[in-house]
Amino acid sequence: MTPALQATALTVPGRLAKVSLALGPAELVAVVGPNGAGKSTLMQALAGLLPASGDILWNGQSLPRIPAQERGRRLAWMGQEALFEFGFPVREVVAQGRFAWGDDPAGVAEALAAMDLVDLGDRPVTRLSGGERHRVILARALATQAPLQLWDEPVAQLDVRHALEVYRLARQLVERGNTVLVSLHDIRAAYRFDRVLVLDRGRLVGDGPPHAVLTADLIRTVFRVEATFTTSLVPELPAGPG
Amino acid sequence: MKTRAALPLLGLLLAAAFLASLAFGELRLGPMQVLDALVGRGDSLSRTIVWDFRLPRTLVGLAAGAALAASGVVMQAFFRNPLADPGLLGVSSGGALGAVAVLALGPSLGLAAASIWTLPVASVAGAFVATGAVILLAERGAGTERLLLSGVALNALLGAGTSFLLTISAGHFEVNAQILFWLMGGLENRSWEHVWMGVPIILLGCLLLLPMGRALNLLSLGEQSAQSLGVDVRRLRRRLIVLATVLTALATAIGGIIGFVGLVVPHALRLVFGPDHRRLLPYSMLGGAAFLLACDLVTRLFPIGLRLGVVTAVVGGPFFLWLLRRAR
Repeated sequence: MTPALQATALTVPGRLAKVSLALGPAELVAVVGPNGAGKSTLMQALAGLLPASGDILWNGQSLPRIPAQERGRRLAWMGQEALFEFGFPVREVVAQGRFAWGDDPAGVAEALAAMDLVDLGDRPVTRLSGGERHRVILARALATQAPLQLWDEPVAQLDVRHALEVYRLARQLVERGNTVLVSLHDIRAAYRFDRVLVLDRGRLVGDGPPHAVLTADLIRTVFRVEATFTTSLVPELPAGPG
Repeated sequence: MKTRAALPLLGLLLAAAFLASLAFGELRLGPMQVLDALVGRGDSLSRTIVWDFRLPRTLVGLAAGAALAASGVVMQAFFRNPLADPGLLGVSSGGALGAVAVLALGPSLGLAAASIWTLPVASVAGAFVATGAVILLAERGAGTERLLLSGVALNALLGAGTSFLLTISAGHFEVNAQILFWLMGGLENRSWEHVWMGVPIILLGCLLLLPMGRALNLLSLGEQSAQSLGVDVRRLRRRLIVLATVLTALATAIGGIIGFVGLVVPHALRLVFGPDHRRLLPYSMLGGAAFLLACDLVTRLFPIGLRLGVVTAVVGGPFFLWLLRRAR
């Protein structure tokens, strides 16, 4: 089976060193690592937004051969920064996700609803809270309906309810055959994913199911903290339509 | 405000400014006299006034206003900073230095009468040097402070060059007067030569910009996100910066340094009609043309030695200060 996203010896000088990975279709993958480990760089490089050496294949096709517009249809990237200088209404920013499709509005309404933005549709994005702005750019990524979704710390600024909805949404996308790669600042959230990649100082030091990868040893080496595995408060969305 | 009304409204404003610009002056013409003269009827005096004097001046003002406002819109989106403006960033100063260099050094180099293209070409070259410097000094997405400070530094540097040229040509009164004209901006004594020098290419530049509004919307909210959504950002940026620089340079070549048009006009229109560049671009072109013609009218209606650059600055300066206070 052709991987949905594959990288070989991906290198960005000083930030990412020879990272090789392959993500299958319908895989839900998390990236964790301490600050500065290269999570954002990895995502930007995979999305073709940074000059990087090494090979990147999207669905078996070499990235440099894919024209700009086609890239917009096949991969959605949600960055960490959600700063807006111009006060476009929320609805229009989300609709920008349809640029590569000639602004055909398919999926915009669903994306707004999925990110709980329907009531904010006409609000200028300059007048939103940090968390709301992140929901806007995530909705824009969803609106692309691209089968590859790369989200860089989507929940860092979200309240617990919206964060859980992001995880549920990611799971739903994967069940429909999409590939979702999410970077996380909180390693505890990695247990909600099928597979976790661990980055440390630009190197890939772990790759596999979270229970197998996130051992006390690895956490001590990479994050320089002691891990105790206990039961503690684990918030979940209520069952049924919430 | 209803955006549907914007285009007719701005078109009407521009038409009114256009007619007023042809009607007012030392000898006042009635609206019918102007229209008659335009179609080649009426008495020969008003035909001469309209065709030989006022129409070139009006067309130059119209084109310079549209060019400056359009290039303001582009620079604001390009630098992702609503306070970017070709004048504040030093691009106009670069264009003026190029033009002044030709004026000051031309006679000794035998360039002066070489061709009507010498001046605009020198102006475009000077503006490109300035644009290149701004891009190097303040990266895209740079904060307001960094961008404006780069502009301050660049304006000072280019102004020093211009002052130097002004000093060394101090012995030649005529050259000096011409240079002062550039520095303060103005539409006096514009001839058809100036029209041909700038207007066709400005028109072409504006037409090329119009279809870029959609991509500008994405670029104005972030380079990487625009790229990820399917915009060929490198190609777009190259085109934008070339067009904005050429438009500013040609406006400067035919009208001298005229500040604040590129800042005030897009800003005011954005406040009223929203930030969508698909609309903001054409609105700003029409609005910029009307605004500049109106400012030029002020210099004519109050003949107390007001220069066009002075009037736009008197309107634009306070507006800019208000914007700075309001920002964040």
